[in-house]
Amino acid sequence: MKTLLRSITGAILAIALAATAVTAAAAADMKGKIYYLVPTLLDEFQTGSIDAITKFMGDVGYEVVALDGQNRTDLQLSQIDDVINLKPSAVILAAVDFDAAKTGIEKMRAAGIPVMIFDRQITSTPSDFTSVAGTVEIGHVAAEQITRLLTEKYGSAKGKVLQILGDPGDPYTLEIQQGFEEKMAANPDVTIITHPAMQWEATNAGNIAQDQLLTNPDIDLIFVHAAHLAVAVAAVLEAQGKKPGDVMLVSSNGAPVGLDLIRKGWEQVEVEQPMYAQAAALAMFADKVVNKEKIEPGTYDVTGLESVLTIEDWGPNIKIPGAAITKDNVDDPKFWGNLKPPSEPVMSVK
Amino acid sequence: MTTQSATAPHSTSEMPPRRRAAFEFVLDNLVWFVLAIVLAVFSLTIPDFLQIGIFLNILQNSTFIGIIAVGLSLTLIAGHMDLSIESVMALAAMVIALMFGTGGAGGGIVLEPGWLYFPVSLLIALAVGAIVGTVNGTLVVRLGINAFIVTLASYIWARGLVVALSGGRSVYGLPDAMRVMAVDQILGIPLLAWMLILVYIVFAFILAKTPFGRHLTMIGGNETATYRAGIRVGAIVMASFILSGMLAGFAGWLLASRTAGATANLGIGMLFQAFAAVVIGGVSLKGGSGRLSGVFAGVLLLSSIQTAINVMGMPPHYTQMIQGGLVLAAVLLDTMKNTVRRYYL
Repeated sequence: MKTLLRSITGAILAIALAATAVTAAAAADMKGKIYYLVPTLLDEFQTGSIDAITKFMGDVGYEVVALDGQNRTDLQLSQIDDVINLKPSAVILAAVDFDAAKTGIEKMRAAGIPVMIFDRQITSTPSDFTSVAGTVEIGHVAAEQITRLLTEKYGSAKGKVLQILGDPGDPYTLEIQQGFEEKMAANPDVTIITHPAMQWEATNAGNIAQDQLLTNPDIDLIFVHAAHLAVAVAAVLEAQGKKPGDVMLVSSNGAPVGLDLIRKGWEQVEVEQPMYAQAAALAMFADKVVNKEKIEPGTYDVTGLESVLTIEDWGPNIKIPGAAITKDNVDDPKFWGNLKPPSEPVMSVK
Repeated sequence: MTTQSATAPHSTSEMPPRRRAAFEFVLDNLVWFVLAIVLAVFSLTIPDFLQIGIFLNILQNSTFIGIIAVGLSLTLIAGHMDLSIESVMALAAMVIALMFGTGGAGGGIVLEPGWLYFPVSLLIALAVGAIVGTVNGTLVVRLGINAFIVTLASYIWARGLVVALSGGRSVYGLPDAMRVMAVDQILGIPLLAWMLILVYIVFAFILAKTPFGRHLTMIGGNETATYRAGIRVGAIVMASFILSGMLAGFAGWLLASRTAGATANLGIGMLFQAFAAVVIGGVSLKGGSGRLSGVFAGVLLLSSIQTAINVMGMPPHYTQMIQGGLVLAAVLLDTMKNTVRRYYL
């Protein structure tokens, strides 16, 4: 028995030593470690962003470690405290809560750790780099597309739109709503009914659609703030005997499920968040951020998308244009929902 | 000087048997009366609420919370609890979606003939629930670990497994045979609603009319006395956890059908609604008492409020406030009911 225990202990130690050696060798090839604080793993965009950021940062020589905030502000702030002690080359933050993250960003920067903001723009405090599509702008694109669809149907922009938000405690969905409604204000003949799907839960979205279609059978179009909610809504439409296109469907974020719904005809437009480009932009400027070099404003080509970098009050900010995906361009590999990351390695900006 | 009598003016001796029976009936079914009043108020005050379609929606949307609430009731009546039901439901949905879904992370397993998807996916969902239920039951019964801790751990790891299995990706494109439950109707009533009704009838019968049901209630009332009476306490508690897991698996199967797939956050938040329904329905958190008819009314009450909010466009924050208020009101009503029962009956 003693011999067996000794053998097992020896084997474990050997494996641990080997693993340490391999890790150390791998780390030696890297420029440093970057922590990515992802807000949740219960969202396809966020989990996809981990793969994209890991890949693109690897292209420019950084190792990425992702930490899941589980949609909890307190947990993400604790992770920030922990990460500060680990002294990484930089931190990429996709905040659970835009406002609450402010103190965390200030702490990290005070500790000399550069902070890069991903996807969820924070303007209340300076950071070292921001890469966003712009949630308000996503709302604008959705409004333009919905105006087009209603005009094609009626000859002018009129009708009834059911807007299904995500969780009402999430600023992400509220900003899309803000952008959408400020653009739609130009269409006084369009009635907008708004309901949130608590906790971004698909069943809740389905229930809302089912109840609303009963009390407002003249709904022309349903706009949902995430593709996974659109799946439940399409399922309800199908269960009610509707055919694709009877009630139009528009969604945002560009997840694979949304693209599939477009191919099947249930959805007309998906407003894409250009996740690959957003992630690639971080990698392109990683060296400059880590080495605290000056970042020049201007127009940059990010994975083929013309993106504008400006120097804002909160720091360098690159905005990648979101795109409207329709049945005409749904198979374009540049959309992250087609899950074909760019094969060309990302190059650092000199 | 006058003194007040300690005996109530309407004590048992003074109340006629008929009136007493009616009084008891009202007390036993108080939540149904509350539901009737709430529905009447909604129907009179909310435009478009009073229509068959809305009532069918209420019934259909109650399905998932209603079914997991049955499992939760079984374990609560036995003097334990099962916090894992929400995650087990999501796990069962994700497992079958990953196996048979054709889009996203789905594996797209093909079965011939097509109708096989229906029984095979159902059996797998039930098996997933049974496995987690067995793990929970074994840890509680054999190792004597507190059910709260064991099932809380399962609640966490099962949700983690959902995320790990899917990689956070959605799964969609379930075969038509698996979507029958969400699409078809019998006598104008959705199959999902029929499933809910069926589950309640079956388990109400089991609880009230079978030795298993009676023993479950006895165990919750006094486990030691039940054991001394020669009843196999461990086996019955174990069975309650397995049944709870299987019911959650069944709810997950229906949920996958309803949403045409599965997402990593599927069903999130339903545990607390199930708890609310169970408490409103009068199941004692201390164990030993509770009837599924009350739980059914509790589920319908919560679903009615949610539907009313959907129809009238009230901000969603009020849903949670109302649900929290309802749970509190239910507990107060229960306390009042017991006092009234002691005082008058």
